[in-house]
Amino acid sequence: MNGRGTPLGEYLPGHSWLHRTPLGLKAGFLAVLGLGTFWLSSWAASLAVLGLVVALFASIAPGWRRTWRLFAAPAPLLLVVLVFQSWQLGPGRGISIAANITSCLVAAAILTLTTPVQTLLDGVVRLASPLRRFGLDPERLALLIAITLRSIPYLLGTFSSVREAARARGLERSPRARVLPVLIASVAYAQRTGDALTARGLGDATEPEADDPAFN
Amino acid sequence: MPDARSFARPADPDDDAVLLRDVVVRAAGEDRRPSRTILTVDGLRLTERRIGVLGANGSGKSTLLRLLNGLQLPDSGSVTVHGLDTRRDGRAVRALVGFVFTDPLSQLVMPTGREDLELSLRRSVPRKDRAARAQEILERFGLATLADQSVYELSGGERQLMALASVLAVEPRVLALDEPSTLLDLRNRELLRRTLAELPQQQVLATHDLELALDMDRVLVVDRAEIVFDGDPASAVAFYRELSLSGTP
Ligand SMILES: Nc1ncnc2c1ncn2[C@@H]1O[C@H](COP(=O)(O)OP(=O)(O)O)[C@@H](O)[C@H]1O
Ligand SMILES: [Mg+2]
Repeated sequence: MNGRGTPLGEYLPGHSWLHRTPLGLKAGFLAVLGLGTFWLSSWAASLAVLGLVVALFASIAPGWRRTWRLFAAPAPLLLVVLVFQSWQLGPGRGISIAANITSCLVAAAILTLTTPVQTLLDGVVRLASPLRRFGLDPERLALLIAITLRSIPYLLGTFSSVREAARARGLERSPRARVLPVLIASVAYAQRTGDALTARGLGDATEPEADDPAFN
Repeated sequence: MPDARSFARPADPDDDAVLLRDVVVRAAGEDRRPSRTILTVDGLRLTERRIGVLGANGSGKSTLLRLLNGLQLPDSGSVTVHGLDTRRDGRAVRALVGFVFTDPLSQLVMPTGREDLELSLRRSVPRKDRAARAQEILERFGLATLADQSVYELSGGERQLMALASVLAVEPRVLALDEPSTLLDLRNRELLRRTLAELPQQQVLATHDLELALDMDRVLVVDRAEIVFDGDPASAVAFYRELSLSGTP
């Protein structure tokens, strides 16, 4: 299966200053920067934030291929948003909304590219540990997030191989031939992943001794 | 080659068998149709280090393996591993029995091998020691240079070894391997074969690879939901050949 999709969720081993920034600080800053943009409605402010996020992205030297992969997939969608919102709400709002979404995308990519998955998981576990009181297992939540990140490239790969298979049979115009196999493949993938996690004992609730802070 | 001996744990001399008693597994029946039996095993005691399972597609090999670590629970009868019941002691059994799937991509749930290994270690090794332990295991399997590559970029054999390393990281005493070489080319198959031969764990391995089957100490042949042969590898392979070529025995 083709897995060379978006670098979202990928880690880029390295030692840039963003790699060295503690997770809480980095995640907090990027979240404020990314999500904060939704309060911005002036196109100039949105573009300024986008410029800042892109500069941060460039500072980790992601390379051209990774940059291309990050933008290639969502580019058509962003273009549609830009055109549609410009038509509906005026060009200023259109540019602002498209820039804000792009900022979020880039901020998310910066976070995962500069943080090893394990560190990310530890962060989620720490952040979610107060929720244990309400019966939520932080370790499982972290695992859920990790699996979700991991399945993005896999499912994007499924989309493209199903498209090729449909084309090979001359069925590229049939939504049935394109959507159904993706659904089936996704369910099968979920099932196999579930089995693999169960087999490794990772589906079990965390044991009391793993509550030890040294584990989380 | 990995120095696999260091994965060994002191074995419990009295109780190191896998036991199946009066096991029946049925497919979940739909509507009012009678449910189909997908495996019956009256009695089976596995003590040999390496046990092969041969059988056509759909004969019940995976079901037999899945019974061993509780991925599949019997509809009746019982399965015990080293004295632990798969139904009652599910969690302990999963820690005892590692499972290797045919497709390593469904097993490796993290983007890179190193991350996957560290995930395996989350439950058993404190955070500060995890990275070092992962590195140690990677080196033991000769996988250190591939550890940070996307699992999609590895060859089939490298991927399967990586999946195996992730399973062995938690030091199981028994390995269930479901057609681990089916997706591999000849060279990678050979690499996997040599690696498995050196592991100290008890292995129960389903395969279509007759050469691999001949490496085992004992081989079962499964056909249409039943064990139809149980014996030494050479006889089992001959029996299986006969069975496959004659169509309906
Ligand atoms: N969850 C299930 N529900 C219904 N039928 C199943 C299920 N799992 C396996 N089977 C059926 O049980 C039989 C044995 O399957 P399996 O153990 O996977 O065989 P093998 O691994 O030898 O190919 C097959 O006919 C298969 O279709
Ligand atoms: Mg099978």
